[in-house]
Amino acid sequence: MTLPPLEIVLYTGAVSLLIIGLAGLVMGDNLVRLVLALAVAEAGVNLLLVLSGFRQGAFAPILLEGRVPGPMVDPIPQALVLTAIVIGVGVQALALALVLRVRRAYGTVEMRTLRARLHEDLDAAAGLPPETSRNAPAVERPA
Amino acid sequence: MNFVVLAVALPLLAGFLTPALGRSSRALAQWLGWGTLAVCIGVLWVAWARLDGGTVAIAIGGFRPPLGIVFYLDAVALLFGLAVPLMALLLWPREGTPQQFALTLVLTASATGLALSGDIFNLYVFYELTAAASFGLIAGRGTGAAQGAALRYLLLSAAGSVLLLAGITIVYLRTGTLNLAHLATLAPERLQDPVGLAAFALMLIGLGVKGELFPVNGWVPEVYGSVSGRLAGLLAGLVSKLAVLVVVRILVLIFPQPEAAQLMLVLGMLGIVAGELAAWRARDLRRQFAFSSIGQLGIVFVAFSVPGEAGIVAGLAVALHHLLVKPALFLLAERWGGSIEGLRGAGRGHWLASGLFILFALSLVGLPPLPGFWAKLLTVMGLMGLGTGLAWLGALTVMAATVVEAAYLFRTLSVLLAREAGYTSPGPHRGLDLVTASLAGLVLVGSVFALHPLGDGLKAMAAQAADVQGYIRTVLGDRAVARRGQREDRISEAHPASRGSDRPMGRADRAYGWPAGSPTRGARS
Amino acid sequence: MTLLDGLWLASALTALAAGLFGRSPSAGPWLTALYGVQFLLVAFMGPLAYGADPVPASPAFSVLGYGLSWQFTALSWFFAVITAGAALAAAWFMSGAWGRHYAEQGGDLRLLQLALALNPSTMYVLLASRDFLSLFVGWELVSWASFVLMLAAGGVGVRWALRYLVYAIGGAMAVMAAMVLSHALTGSFEFGALAAVVPDLSAGTLWSLVILLSGGFGVKMGLLPFHLWQAGAYAETPGPGSAFLGAISSRMGLYAMLLTLFGVLGLGTLKALSIPWTPLEAHELLAWIAAFTIVLPTFTALKQNDARWLLAWHGIGQGGYMLMGVAMGDALASAGGLMHVFNHATYQAALFMAVTAVVYRTGTADLNKLGGLVTRMPLTFLVLLVGIIGLAGLPPMNGFVSKWLIYRALIDDGQPLLFVAAVVGTLGTIVSVYKLLHNIFLGQLRVEHESVREVPGSMLAPMLALSLIVFVTGLAPGLVLDWLTTVQRELGLAVLAPTLGGVERPDGGLDMLWVVGILFAGFGVGALIFLAGGRARTVHQLDNYAGGHFLTAEVRYHYSDNFYAGLMHRIGPWYRGSFQWLQDSVVAATDLLAQAAAGVYRVVQPAAWLLGVTVLALWWVAA
Repeated sequence: MTLPPLEIVLYTGAVSLLIIGLAGLVMGDNLVRLVLALAVAEAGVNLLLVLSGFRQGAFAPILLEGRVPGPMVDPIPQALVLTAIVIGVGVQALALALVLRVRRAYGTVEMRTLRARLHEDLDAAAGLPPETSRNAPAVERPA
Repeated sequence: MNFVVLAVALPLLAGFLTPALGRSSRALAQWLGWGTLAVCIGVLWVAWARLDGGTVAIAIGGFRPPLGIVFYLDAVALLFGLAVPLMALLLWPREGTPQQFALTLVLTASATGLALSGDIFNLYVFYELTAAASFGLIAGRGTGAAQGAALRYLLLSAAGSVLLLAGITIVYLRTGTLNLAHLATLAPERLQDPVGLAAFALMLIGLGVKGELFPVNGWVPEVYGSVSGRLAGLLAGLVSKLAVLVVVRILVLIFPQPEAAQLMLVLGMLGIVAGELAAWRARDLRRQFAFSSIGQLGIVFVAFSVPGEAGIVAGLAVALHHLLVKPALFLLAERWGGSIEGLRGAGRGHWLASGLFILFALSLVGLPPLPGFWAKLLTVMGLMGLGTGLAWLGALTVMAATVVEAAYLFRTLSVLLAREAGYTSPGPHRGLDLVTASLAGLVLVGSVFALHPLGDGLKAMAAQAADVQGYIRTVLGDRAVARRGQREDRISEAHPASRGSDRPMGRADRAYGWPAGSPTRGARS
Repeated sequence: MTLLDGLWLASALTALAAGLFGRSPSAGPWLTALYGVQFLLVAFMGPLAYGADPVPASPAFSVLGYGLSWQFTALSWFFAVITAGAALAAAWFMSGAWGRHYAEQGGDLRLLQLALALNPSTMYVLLASRDFLSLFVGWELVSWASFVLMLAAGGVGVRWALRYLVYAIGGAMAVMAAMVLSHALTGSFEFGALAAVVPDLSAGTLWSLVILLSGGFGVKMGLLPFHLWQAGAYAETPGPGSAFLGAISSRMGLYAMLLTLFGVLGLGTLKALSIPWTPLEAHELLAWIAAFTIVLPTFTALKQNDARWLLAWHGIGQGGYMLMGVAMGDALASAGGLMHVFNHATYQAALFMAVTAVVYRTGTADLNKLGGLVTRMPLTFLVLLVGIIGLAGLPPMNGFVSKWLIYRALIDDGQPLLFVAAVVGTLGTIVSVYKLLHNIFLGQLRVEHESVREVPGSMLAPMLALSLIVFVTGLAPGLVLDWLTTVQRELGLAVLAPTLGGVERPDGGLDMLWVVGILFAGFGVGALIFLAGGRARTVHQLDNYAGGHFLTAEVRYHYSDNFYAGLMHRIGPWYRGSFQWLQDSVVAATDLLAQAAAGVYRVVQPAAWLLGVTVLALWWVAA
């Protein structure tokens, strides 16, 4: 299928946002940045959704005096995106709240440290010795 | 039948009332929660009785499908719908705060919605709501580990939701509708290509986060390791199954192509291998069960990947069996925390708990005539009936997993029942936990005596769920088909260009008079 | 209600009674009586062995549209009578002093009684199965019942029981695969349905069925390379339990093989199924596996220093003879193989009981810590002597007859290599059972065993009864061979025409009446000479010398450690532990894989897997 250049740009932008967001989610370490990356990815996919109803040169989907004024943009994706944005905002707020709680509990906002501390806690609760670290000697160094 | 909506609306409403009510009286909030759940069970039970094996579509707010949002009720949907408030009641967070009551109620509402909804976007909304409620419940335990696990789960789950939404977008782009029944009519011509498959892959992975699909289940051991046994049971037993149910609905109705099922089969197989082997190495009971649940969900995915009725029968059997057994095991693990080696002799003297553990373990491993055996047999039969190499490999994986499962479950049991003393027990299991687990045990044993009717019921249920034409007829209806002609005439007055198009029309198309969800943008404008 | 219903009911009642009252040692005789009832009920079905109509069971189920039904035929009856006899003997053995002793030692007598009772009851279910579904149900029940019995001892036994469980479940899964494959081919679980389509099946499908069935059932029999679990699991079970397991448990594998490979697929099919690029056919492959199963475990038994382990290893090896006979499939060989099931059950149960009796009195089964007990436990010695003659396959005991039939058939069929394997196995058996007899009963008595007495009657009676059967069926093998003709007819094999003393053949048959007669005439001549010589002197056990030195009570001289030093010097390097190594490697590889699997869940960013699998899935979709 052939798309008008404008739509190509828009779609590329949306997909790029999605990819940038996911990549940030994978590569980031700072928890706040991870939440931001999530927001970027969600923005990308929301944009994609809204684009699915987009038609160049069409009207906003509002009936004027009960009559259809001409070709209109598909309104359903817009309604969906509104919902998705609300959900996204809610989840991000929850995520930030949890980041604060985690910082209070573990004193860190870094994923790597969080994972290490979390697994230490889980192992300790399970009565297991902590994972031996590759960076620390297994026994005390001789004096 | 519109009263079924109450099963979603009431707990949602009660969920918002509970925190306010809980401020004045915790007991009152608790009773409100129980009452609501009981009403939900009643509502769904009445619906089950009235439905009597048939299928019904409910248009919400009076808009007819495919324009309006629908609930689709068939035996499978109602069965899982009924399981939600029932299990929420059984696994109620008794020692929790009113906030946790509220979240449990919201979880109930959204999970019921997941089971009943007949619209893809609604499914997405309910899915997100379920996720949000479970994050809250997980973090609600208040320990650092629980909050850390909740955050890590949230990030993974939200990323999955993004993929799910991307998949939904592709589907919408292609078909212009989100109603499952309508999609089912359009899918054969619109989604039978790599792009459609890509949409399925994205949705599978997105939904797979909750359904414990490999490899997006990294959260499972962390979360189940840090929450209470009741919550772990609820998440592992119920929520994961509902995510799988959604995947299955999508697979059956929209993506009949073999590649879609193959993708699910491969990921399910990897999940079995990873879950069971990790469980074999796990050194504490709770995470052993967590990993084992990954493996079991892998079997569920593998079973459902068999096309047609055979797959649905097998998948339902495995899913229902796991739904019964795993929460009960998590309840038993509540008092048997700590490393497994430290539990030497812990089961001696607690014969009810140990006996239940033995029963569940035997059923999981598949000792005939316990239900676990028939579930496993159906799965292997379905897979080997396909005759493809990949399906054989799947059957082999399921059977090899059984060996590993037997090895670790009975190694654990041999430790629990070892004749050495020296274990300082934290006391017997709480009475309520034991009663709930015994209930599951009774159902398990009771079903042995009702194998014949159960098998027939399951088959009928699966036949209904596999009947795509039936689904379409129920939702869009014969009358709707008849009325379609009139509407098309009316629309064609406004847009003469669309006359003569005999293709089915999308939701937006229908409303605004575009030619049915055009595959290309150009054709629309 | 049919006799089979009655048998099921009786065995269920026994299990119930064992569970309720098993804790008290005084319940032993009552339980034994219940086993006696089971045995009688089986005996009442005796006409089956002479061609009577099958005895059906009243219960029949239908699950998921598949029927499950049960009935006893001659084949079932043959195995059932051995099962009932072994269970009766084992229960009798533990009914009195032994059970009390076990409970006093801290053993869980109730668990042991219950586990023992569960075994025959599940076996009766398995033996009656007449379709794949009921076969599998019975198979799993039997597997788990043996697991419970192995667990009864606790301690080391648990480790072996768990190892057994892994093997058993693996085997059961192979059986399940075969059963489902059969279902995929025929749409039903009936034996008849599969038998009907066998001629149309491709060689590949047939091979899959043969491999899955013989592999799955072979695990239970301890066929190479699936034998590593058996010796430990059987040996570490409490005495009467190991007598029962050693006698019949692993033979269930042979029964199931007979039922499916021979009864359903048919010997003709196996003979027509050749291995590409070799002159071997499927049944010869089975015979060769049996040959290796005879030789390797037998020579492993030779190295054991624990009497129970030695016997258990021999149990694996003797299973090889049974399979070899049955796999060769002609009238002589199959009769020999089947009769060996009976013979082995009788002498193996007697042997395990004799060893348990020794353990009961001395507290050890270590062959390096015993000796000279013949003067203290003469009747146990007699039982062990009769048992090892049977085990070694020497006249006049029954083991000789079955082995003779197998040797003879191998020669007739022109299988010199298999014959050599069988003879080498027998040689190893003779050498190693002599070690058993010598190290326990001959040589010098140890000081700590001075006060040892013969075991009480409740233990002696079943042992002596079994020895009597070993001798009588050796003297008149026709008694058992008569049943086997019916079994052979049922399985569609060539039918033997036995006489009371054995078989009559123009080119030299076997008449045990003559063999035993001549043997005992020889003994009589010897006795006459001995008596005529007159001058006999009774000396004390320590009144002898070695290397010119008189031995005193201070200098113990009982040669037991490193018993066959010279032989081991020759064959020692052949013991490589290859199968142990193989098993360890598989475990290690699984562990490595499991570490990798666990590693998946320790990753810092779970989202990485999400992204990775998405990219892969999209790539796969696009491709």
